[in-house]
Amino acid sequence: MEVLAYLITAARTQLDEAAEYAPFRLLTAAQRLAGHMAPHASAPVRQLIATLDSMPPTATPRDRDAYTAKVDEICVALADCLLALYPPAEEE
Amino acid sequence: MSGEAGPVYDAIRTRRVTRQMDARPVEPADLDRVVRAARYAPNAGNRRLQPVIPVSSPRLLRLLRLVAPGMLPRPAAAAVICIDKRRAAAYGFRSDAPGLFVDVGTTAATMLLAAHAIGLASCPVTSFSRAAVARLLGLDESITPQLIVCLGHAAGVQPPPMAAVGTKGLPPVTR
Repeated sequence: MEVLAYLITAARTQLDEAAEYAPFRLLTAAQRLAGHMAPHASAPVRQLIATLDSMPPTATPRDRDAYTAKVDEICVALADCLLALYPPAEEE
Repeated sequence: MSGEAGPVYDAIRTRRVTRQMDARPVEPADLDRVVRAARYAPNAGNRRLQPVIPVSSPRLLRLLRLVAPGMLPRPAAAAVICIDKRRAAAYGFRSDAPGLFVDVGTTAATMLLAAHAIGLASCPVTSFSRAAVARLLGLDESITPQLIVCLGHAAGVQPPPMAAVGTKGLPPVTR
């Protein structure tokens, strides 16, 4: 419920707040979702959550290159997690 | 320079926005002192069109945070600064008259300093659903929430401040 409420209200606040807050809000939502998943997460998901949580909750893309690099790092961690959760079938 | 300009200037200089609060409670008397400080904020025409609603119920605080994407801390108390649209209209204000919102700001600044003066951490929040907060607080439709002052005690570890742009030479003021 927390994540659902966050996403709905963030959609509304984004209409009035700075555009730079868009990725910030999405990552905060991801972190809150991860917080609920963490107690039941498998090792690959825990690793992803650790990388996600390494993004400071106050980070915004004011240094666009550094911010982009950090989000890319999280995306790579996501890919690694997906590869671990869904390994190729043996016939592939 | 500390102390040269007196305690008020020191309070202005040392107040910080606190984005991580611990579980220590805010005493009801302290919440009351912060809310009553709003009465001393500069206010155009002394009209006082910005009612302040204290919130101390853990349940309501949790629900407020759910509809406030900008609320990073988990506050032990809060005060919601509103605009009384009905009374404002009686003075001839349009509902979007800038002065109404300026006085929300002066009210908030005064309350933040009052909190600091009595040893409380604070964090102003404007990113929230006005409609949802009004419903949670059971407000009359003429009372619109505009700014939430989160109150509590600073946790030992704080997130880094947001990077300032174009303020080179000024110290960061986020904790």
